[in-house]
Amino acid sequence: MKRLAWGGLLALGCAVPWPGGTRQPALIEFTEAEVRSILQHGPWPVPWSGDPSNRVSGSAHAIDLGERLFFDRRLSATGGVSCATCHQPDRGWSDGRPRGFGLAKVDRNTPSLMNVRLHRWFGLDGAADSLWSQSLRPILNTKELGSNAGHVAALIRRDADLACRYEKSFGRRPPADDEALLVDAGKALAAFQETLVTGRTAFDAFRDALERGDRSAAAHYSEAAQRGLRIFVGKGACSTCHTGPTFTNGEFHDIGISQFVRPGEVDPGRHRGIQQVTAGRFNLLGVYNDDPTRARATGTRHVALEHRNFGEFRVPTLRNAASTAPYMHNGQLATVPDVVRYYSEIDIDRLHADGEQILRPLKLSAREATDLAVFLETLSDYAAPWRGRKPGDGPACR
Amino acid sequence: MGDLGWGASARELPIFDAHVHYSHDAWERVPPKEAIGLLRKAGVKRALVSSSNDDGQQKLFAEAPDLILPSLRPYRSRGDIGTWVRDDAIVGYLEERLKRYRYVAIGEFHVFGADADTPVVRRAVQLARQYKLLLHAHSDAEAIERLFRQDPGARILWAHSGFERPEKVREMLRKHRNLWCDLAFRNDHAPGGRLDPDWRAAFIEFPDRFMVGTDTYTPERWHYLGEHARWSREWLAGLPEDLAERIAFRNGEALFGAMLAPH
Repeated sequence: MKRLAWGGLLALGCAVPWPGGTRQPALIEFTEAEVRSILQHGPWPVPWSGDPSNRVSGSAHAIDLGERLFFDRRLSATGGVSCATCHQPDRGWSDGRPRGFGLAKVDRNTPSLMNVRLHRWFGLDGAADSLWSQSLRPILNTKELGSNAGHVAALIRRDADLACRYEKSFGRRPPADDEALLVDAGKALAAFQETLVTGRTAFDAFRDALERGDRSAAAHYSEAAQRGLRIFVGKGACSTCHTGPTFTNGEFHDIGISQFVRPGEVDPGRHRGIQQVTAGRFNLLGVYNDDPTRARATGTRHVALEHRNFGEFRVPTLRNAASTAPYMHNGQLATVPDVVRYYSEIDIDRLHADGEQILRPLKLSAREATDLAVFLETLSDYAAPWRGRKPGDGPACR
Repeated sequence: MGDLGWGASARELPIFDAHVHYSHDAWERVPPKEAIGLLRKAGVKRALVSSSNDDGQQKLFAEAPDLILPSLRPYRSRGDIGTWVRDDAIVGYLEERLKRYRYVAIGEFHVFGADADTPVVRRAVQLARQYKLLLHAHSDAEAIERLFRQDPGARILWAHSGFERPEKVREMLRKHRNLWCDLAFRNDHAPGGRLDPDWRAAFIEFPDRFMVGTDTYTPERWHYLGEHARWSREWLAGLPEDLAERIAFRNGEALFGAMLAPH
């Protein structure tokens, strides 16, 4: 494979070559193909674009209402749990548990909400096709908030502050239709979650320096991280699925993780997710989609149910993954090095011979495994924990 | 046709599942009694079962000889998938198992292209002829051709129909009278549960040559048997009743059903 000279970077759109053409010792000479792979993981953050299926997407009033609802335990059947019970801001919007626990223990790990607005399908099984419809699932799930449309609607109607904020968000008083009001609560929750975006990382600084041809800036990225990055885009083929600025293709794959949730019961993953999203009354094909063009409903209309979907789960973003341990859909891997080890020693016996053909044991050396883990850590921004308001904070709505 | 034990108007079409595995990791997670229960709950009346190693399907056969049709896989563990064709020790393994147990087939094995002519594969073909067994081959068309050249009288069940397009499958079926096809782990014949026209033509041209199969390649997939049977019945409903019954059950029964009958 051809090695990339810095002149080659110019051809890739790099503006500033390293003065004098000398080599910075701390900088790996990536090939042209490697550089192309690296550059496709940015720039970050991606520009804002609203969700046309949600008429209050991007609305400051709806974001405010959604944030209040997110932390409001009164949404739950018992008044004891909220969305934030599992999606905790100081735990990367996850909960640190192998499996979530709302009103009861659930069967899956709690996914982070960071960058959630950029998903194509929502939930680890993709059983929702919009962020607002996904936001309804835990509200209605008996093991999570265990609530129902009537309960949520009554809360918003009865609470003068919430009712006022609803009116500011949606331009009307809370309607009498419980289900319509529940869906609007989901849309406000979605508007809030759309604001949860990870910050720039050490990797982003390196990636942008690479694009600019700024060797001096690029050399600030540790050599171990660079070596790990080379494995990520090369030998490891990790970037085949963990692709793009979000480090996920947004699709679903089976990597051989156990589907058993208890003896005699398995998690069907994407297979059931497709059945649910196509049959669900809150999907983008339904009456609650605010986009008259139904442009985003194309995937829902055409998604095909296949045998391979049984046991597939959504490829997670790797941004800020270091803050969201444990890992995998059932939380069976405790640390980032555990994840690296899993792929290094992956049991291909658990994969179909004509299935995920890209997956083979990476057989990484100890140093390679460390390098890959170091690289993955550089995808986290380690920003100060999010500090939101609590219910009742701030002036009352008028 | 004899009495097959179900009426033509029966609502739940019985299933002959031609592609079931019960390998070492399944034995603990889905013990034999539970596995048999899952097959029966799915409405599977017969199942062609192979395992890595061979002990798995022997456990199932002991539990339900009316239901299980054992097939001998040339794998001591599933890790042999990619190496067995050049592993001389496999020959001894096959010979030893064939002396000890009764089978209806050798397979499912994976072999592609010229690898079908390695000495180990040739010996497996000879053993199938000696013991009058089917070969259950996960292969491309070239390997199927090579297997038939070794033994023109061989009977081969083509796993997954080779993941070939229906036109190619029909071409192979026209050429080889002793070739049958399972439809395991493919959806293209019935996307969304509705029959594809090209596949429909294949089924009508060769009503006696196709079977359904789940492919339980992980323990978890045993819990997919019921869903697979439901899906099979859904798309089979798009065929004439007689043809649906053949693909669902009668073709498998006709090919394998009498092989373990008392001599």
